[in-house]
Amino acid sequence: MWHLGRPMLHGVGCLGGVCGACPISIRLPNQMAPKTALACQTLVAEGAEMAFLPGDASKKEIAPLPAETPNQNTLFQYYPETRRCVACGACTSICPQGIDVMASVREAMNGKLAETADRFVDCVMCGLCAAVCDVKVRPHRVGLYTRRLIGAFQENEATQLKKRIEEIGSGHYKEQWAALMEEAVH
Amino acid sequence: MSDIDVSKERVNTSRAARSQQEMPRLSAEEKDDLVHRYHPDYKKEAYATLRFGPNKGEQTVHELARLLEGESPVPADFPALKPAHQVDILIIGGGGAGATAALTAKAAGAKILMATKLRLGDSNTVMAEGGMQVAVSPEDSPIRHFVDSLKGGHMANDRVLLKQLVEEGPSVAQWLIDLGVMFDREDDGNLSLRAGGGSSLPRLLRCKDYTGLELMRVLKDCVLNEEVEVLEFSPVIELLTDGKGSCTGAILKDLDNDRRIVVQAKTVILATGGIGRLHIQGFPTSNHFGATGDGLSITYRAGASLTLQDTFQYHPTGAVFPEAMAGLLVTEAIRSAGAHLLNAKGERFVYELETRDAVASAVIRECLEGRGIQTPAGRYGVWIDMPLVDQINGEGTLEKRFPNMIRQFSRYDIDIRKEPVLVYPTLHYQNGGIQIDAEGESTLKNLFVAGEASGGIHGRNRLMGNSLLDIIVYGKRAGAAASKRAAASDFGPLSLDHLSRFRKERSEAGVNSDVVSPMLFPDYVKKQ
Ligand SMILES: Cc1cc2nc3c(=O)[nH]c(=O)nc-3n(C[C@H](O)[C@H](O)[C@H](O)COP(=O)(O)OP(=O)(O)OC[C@H]3O[C@@H](n4cnc5c(N)ncnc54)[C@H](O)[C@@H]3O)c2cc1C
Ligand code: SF4
Ligand code: SF4
Ligand code: FES
Repeated sequence: MWHLGRPMLHGVGCLGGVCGACPISIRLPNQMAPKTALACQTLVAEGAEMAFLPGDASKKEIAPLPAETPNQNTLFQYYPETRRCVACGACTSICPQGIDVMASVREAMNGKLAETADRFVDCVMCGLCAAVCDVKVRPHRVGLYTRRLIGAFQENEATQLKKRIEEIGSGHYKEQWAALMEEAVH
Repeated sequence: MSDIDVSKERVNTSRAARSQQEMPRLSAEEKDDLVHRYHPDYKKEAYATLRFGPNKGEQTVHELARLLEGESPVPADFPALKPAHQVDILIIGGGGAGATAALTAKAAGAKILMATKLRLGDSNTVMAEGGMQVAVSPEDSPIRHFVDSLKGGHMANDRVLLKQLVEEGPSVAQWLIDLGVMFDREDDGNLSLRAGGGSSLPRLLRCKDYTGLELMRVLKDCVLNEEVEVLEFSPVIELLTDGKGSCTGAILKDLDNDRRIVVQAKTVILATGGIGRLHIQGFPTSNHFGATGDGLSITYRAGASLTLQDTFQYHPTGAVFPEAMAGLLVTEAIRSAGAHLLNAKGERFVYELETRDAVASAVIRECLEGRGIQTPAGRYGVWIDMPLVDQINGEGTLEKRFPNMIRQFSRYDIDIRKEPVLVYPTLHYQNGGIQIDAEGESTLKNLFVAGEASGGIHGRNRLMGNSLLDIIVYGKRAGAAASKRAAASDFGPLSLDHLSRFRKERSEAGVNSDVVSPMLFPDYVKKQ
């Protein structure tokens, strides 16, 4: 865009393919139909047709984490429409990150939260999947909330981390610090 | 075959033989010598002496000096300063440090407003790949983390800030986990740790090669859940003071409507991030679009001191080919996983896990001395041999651990599982910044600073993974300290007195450039 002499603000963020600010629709001269992509990750070729797509306007539910171990109802409480997915596949076709969005939504419907969480690791929250869903599922928001549920409620605790926090809290390193800081200052 | 292909073939054929090769580490003297000779921080012509202001007489690069000594976009006859917002805390910048400060301040009950230049989350934070350092393993300790960082920083780190950083690491990691950040785990539930350059033990927590994206996605979600008031596309262009050394608010520029918005705040937290888009010394950069060092110029004008403003980190491995990827990072974690660096002859030339300044210097040396590879666009670079990672760690390692990297190159039909790619140092990080005390307060009262905009913690060279830790630890500290201060204070008077003082000093120093700062955005529009 800049090379065409046009300044722009909306639709630019990281320029590194991770912030999701720059979704476009692009068709190369030899292609029948346009594809979606991230503009900052796309090499424009002579004769390509291109349009910037709008940013994410889907509603963000105020969805705090629960106090107890979650199940799929925790998710449906905030995103009930997830269950309405008709498996049309539109979200998968549009995702510029190549995520099988529909499969992830189906897994969420069936309570396979860990699988859903894994699939959304590459999601840049561009919101296109939600924009094209006829039944108003918001796959990326479902994905993020599921990831947070899984992240906060891991089955196995990180015991080493717990232990280190206790050690520091109990002053285990006090003397070593005293010696080190003394030395460091002089 | 072209020269590039010949050289690439050498890399491919020597892979098996090299995989067992041990590369000697540099002694402290060798490293010093290498860095002094080739590191951009030691290039005298690139530096200017600041002619006035809090750091008068000290050095920094021309690109930054111009902005620090630049004129304010706010005219002397700016209309009456009537606040459109009155808050306990104004948070400037919507990256990791700003979001963390916001969550902390909100939890402490403060009334806050966040103003950010692009969208919430568009930042350097979202781009971080490699990980966050926390001393977790039984063999490790905060002491070791401290010593590694001090050595990495050439002993120039602020000891008190560094101690807090490493000591609070484990508890902020727990805080992030409780917010739902999915760090990679071992089968037994413990955090999976990786090695990083300059660290004596594996200490990096990460989420594949999307660590920053994972952090930012979660932090942003929390900020939205907390219903923090956020003004996007509203960068700060000037701070306000009471004329007696305290910060009392700021002026924002509403980019979409070209309006000015005056904010009155009991305290201000500045978290505007780095400087990559200044393209210091002509280097490409790994940074996001808004990394233009705005925080530095506005605080300097308001009278706060900078520290270590002369030192920058050039990440040794930024892509140089294809041209469209120039500057984009090839994460250090790839070298931690065993990838080699090779010159045009297909030979290794440095131990790949030396600190970043040393590795970057070595790459520059190879290219200056004719052992680099020239790209069609005229850039120079050396090879990074990523297929070796799969060979050492088993087929599929790259795919499992570096999906982002594979995706980025595959868009240009380059398969990093099969072939090496060309890299050269890229401007990555501002080691120094605004001087802060243990609570994150600058030398201007009531102005707190967190994250990459601040300076001192990392000395003259930041270790990989210490920045993500920094933004969380100091985002929290600044958030807590500013809330406490705000609870005990009243609003101060709004004035631009510091600007009159600045303008006077500027003309006395004979500076009359027409540069206006903050820069806000780099100007890439092709001049017709
Ligand atoms: C490609 C890349 C990879 C990295 N990898 C790692 C890694 O693996 N480990 C690690 O520890 N560190 C890494 N870093 C460094 C680390 O990501 C950053 O230093 C850190 O995230 C900075 O956080 P921050 O919140 O201080 O700034 P940022 O995240 O950059 O946020 C600054 C915010 O301020 C806003 N802003 C700027 N100017 C203004 C203004 N005038 N008014 C209002 N708002 C403004 C910006 O738009 C942005 O939202 C990496 C950096 C990059 C670029
Ligand atoms: S899953 Fe949805 S929001 Fe995420 S990258 Fe794909 S289309 Fe964008
Ligand atoms: S677009 Fe909506 S209905 Fe169609 S597959 Fe995706 S989530 Fe289901
Ligand atoms: S600008 Fe961030 S993904 Fe393209």
